[in-house]
Amino acid sequence: MADSASGATDKSVQVKLVLLGEAAVGKSSIVLRFVSNEFQANKEPTIGAAFLTQKCRLEDRVLRYEIWDTAGQERFHSLAPMYYRNAQAAVVVYDVTKAASLEKAKSWVKELQRQANPNIVIALAGNKVDLVQPSASTSGTTSSESEDEADDATATPEETAGGEQAESLRQVPRDEAEAYAKEAGLLFFETSAKTGEGIVEIFTEIAKKIPIEHILASTRGAGRPGAGGRPGAPDGGVTLDENAAKGKDACNC
Amino acid sequence: MASHYDVIVIGTGLTESITAAALSKAGFTVAHIDENLYYGGDEASLDLDDLDQWAKKRSAASDKPLSSPYLQAQAEKFVSISAVASPPPHSRQYSVSLLPSLIPSTGPFIASLIASGVSRYGGYKLLERVAIYHSAGLVKNVPGSKEDVFKSKDLSLVEKRRLMRFLLFAAGDFAGSKELQGHEDAPFIDFLRTTFSLSMDVATAITYALAFCSAASDPTLPALTRIHHYLRSSGRYGNSPFLVGHYGGAGEIVQGFCRVSAVVGGVCILARNILSIKQSPPPEGHPQPTYVVELEGFDEPLTSRLIISAPDYTPFLSNGTSQDNTHSSPPPFSSRRVARGVIVIDHPIYFPFLAPPSSDSDPIVGASVSTESMITPVDTAVLVFPPSFLPDGSSTTAAHAFITGAGSMSAPVGIVNISLPLDGAGSSPPDAKAILTPYVNATMALTKRPSSGDVVSDPIFTLFYIQNQLLPSNSENEVTPPLPDLETCFTTPPISPTLSECADSAAMNAEKLFWKAVNALKGHPTHTPGQGEEIPEGQDLVEIESFWPPLETIVDDEGDESW
Ligand SMILES: Nc1nc2c(ncn2[C@@H]2O[C@H](COP(=O)(O)OP(=O)(O)O)[C@@H](O)[C@H]2O)c(=O)[nH]1
Ligand SMILES: [Mg+2]
Repeated sequence: MADSASGATDKSVQVKLVLLGEAAVGKSSIVLRFVSNEFQANKEPTIGAAFLTQKCRLEDRVLRYEIWDTAGQERFHSLAPMYYRNAQAAVVVYDVTKAASLEKAKSWVKELQRQANPNIVIALAGNKVDLVQPSASTSGTTSSESEDEADDATATPEETAGGEQAESLRQVPRDEAEAYAKEAGLLFFETSAKTGEGIVEIFTEIAKKIPIEHILASTRGAGRPGAGGRPGAPDGGVTLDENAAKGKDACNC
Repeated sequence: MASHYDVIVIGTGLTESITAAALSKAGFTVAHIDENLYYGGDEASLDLDDLDQWAKKRSAASDKPLSSPYLQAQAEKFVSISAVASPPPHSRQYSVSLLPSLIPSTGPFIASLIASGVSRYGGYKLLERVAIYHSAGLVKNVPGSKEDVFKSKDLSLVEKRRLMRFLLFAAGDFAGSKELQGHEDAPFIDFLRTTFSLSMDVATAITYALAFCSAASDPTLPALTRIHHYLRSSGRYGNSPFLVGHYGGAGEIVQGFCRVSAVVGGVCILARNILSIKQSPPPEGHPQPTYVVELEGFDEPLTSRLIISAPDYTPFLSNGTSQDNTHSSPPPFSSRRVARGVIVIDHPIYFPFLAPPSSDSDPIVGASVSTESMITPVDTAVLVFPPSFLPDGSSTTAAHAFITGAGSMSAPVGIVNISLPLDGAGSSPPDAKAILTPYVNATMALTKRPSSGDVVSDPIFTLFYIQNQLLPSNSENEVTPPLPDLETCFTTPPISPTLSECADSAAMNAEKLFWKAVNALKGHPTHTPGQGEEIPEGQDLVEIESFWPPLETIVDDEGDESW
């Protein structure tokens, strides 16, 4: 509230971003790659937090992403409406080696268009491209870990597949997905949480498209839906956490 | 996915969801199941289409004896459901709470919200106003704090002094006081009149609008205890002792608890009918049986060492669980019927008020209607109808109309939840709509801007029904196994139907269930690794010390950290 003019940069805008997509397409892995630049092969990454935050710097602005992972609640259609509420961005993920996962992604996009903010920015990400690229084993991010532990059912086809074999694993042609994304007005990327390819791009491209002015205006305003996640104090809003709840008395400004 | 769990929690009501979150956080593996498409059970918040479905399913279930036992139980619980006109468009902009609730700023519920981290997920708003219905288009303000009493220009000095004396008494340590002794079970309103010589007006306001009593016969001690709690709650976040949760309150908060459970590994399964719950004999070397739960559409059953179930799912338990226990015990809880109405409005409500209650002899002559209240509509407020205040209303019980508006994100303009406990337990279900119509009309009269040419508007959507609500018992041992001698199967006890008390009672129930479960599970590690999911090393050996473990703290200074 106080420092108005000076802090153009440190006044980062909070953006709630949600992940969606079929189980095992790599949503949690994408988050982990983006937030801590890690990858765990053949293993469900443990997020174990309410949400993760990550700053994203553009030339003229700083965004603070508040990233919500599904916590596995997509598996039995048990994602709650609360999950979508006030999300300003969504990354809908499919697996390029699984055709059905793109269909699932399309239905998530529909769901978002029904449930979420009308001006939400949606990106479609075709993940696991490393599996369909001619032997990119040079990246060597995870060679050692990936050996142990027998695969379970959800795991992906063996990643050691060489050149031509690799391309044959692809079940979703890039063109097809890209055409769909264009038609539906989504940003589009092919990514690999394993190698890191395309991951940062998703988040920076989304950042460029987020209507920051709009968000700032609506947060300052009457706290209508579409304002940032937890209300600072617009319209009599209250922050429950003791530490954050300073200046408790009166002030009905 | 693992199919064996420490605990299967059935039902996603407030109590079950808090319990599931706490057990998951304590390191137990939890599967959390609900037959509904939504979280929240009887405390859900629904958009208008889902509310419509909710009503239709429950009114139709009685015609279809083959529907699930859960739905049959629901159809017995929710009766006299009024036919719903089709909901207005943009159904999703509305969150209708099936159990409206006020959250006291201190107490077990808010403590759980903060300690679990669920408070980070949603928004809250202070309750703005509590008022008493006065007459068509007018309300009386309720002096809720000592400050209000001091400021009041409309109470006589004597009345002020008496009221202050009572408020000091209620805020203080009254247990064992001479004023209270022998009156603990006496009707609260009589206690106020005789012990504190308060006028009928003031005593009425205290009874129904401060203590949220529902009838003149409500006993003194619980009412006094509530007021004590609320007086001590005000000031933590602002003037009012109460908070209102965004997007329909309890039903939204439930989703937060379910997410907390999922984030630490709990598995949530919605919209699957339960086919059976059976008990298999204790495995070799285990003193306790295993439960086997078959779900529609699941090839393999889920199994667990412990079951915690909402009461409406217990038909499964008593039919299928035990081999030898066919003996059914009498229901441990009494019940009460509550008429409930949901009214969606597209014109805001104003509280043009008269002077606060003044003494009996002091007629309200020339009391002026506040000008501020003429232009500012209320957003979150409670309107109280004490018994006999409405000519066509109940003469024995009080109705509470809970108003939530755009500021609490529940609707573009507003939703009013009216609840009226009914007397007696007649066999034929009363007509919810007929009973509540006078209250609806009285509420809608307040949509007319004071002294303007506006006309009173009509609701854009209404739903009425009677809920047969179980009441919490006073006995300590509320968490009873549905079957004798089964210490690994619990039904969740009922929560208080009182607007200001239900959230707290759910949190208290959850904590009791939590410790019951911890006790039942202690010392018998489930997870021999290799069976089911991988668990962090040594998890089974961790000593559980508190209902909620410490939260990860928020490091919010330099960019790139997670929390
Ligand atoms: N080869 C490869 N495997 C991946 C990639 N992203 C995720 N995985 C693996 O796919 C599986 C599921 O990933 P996870 O992030 O848990 O998916 P989620 O269910 O959508 O969150 C795990 O075994 C991951 O290691 C990727 O980009 N390339
Ligand atoms: Mg995941």
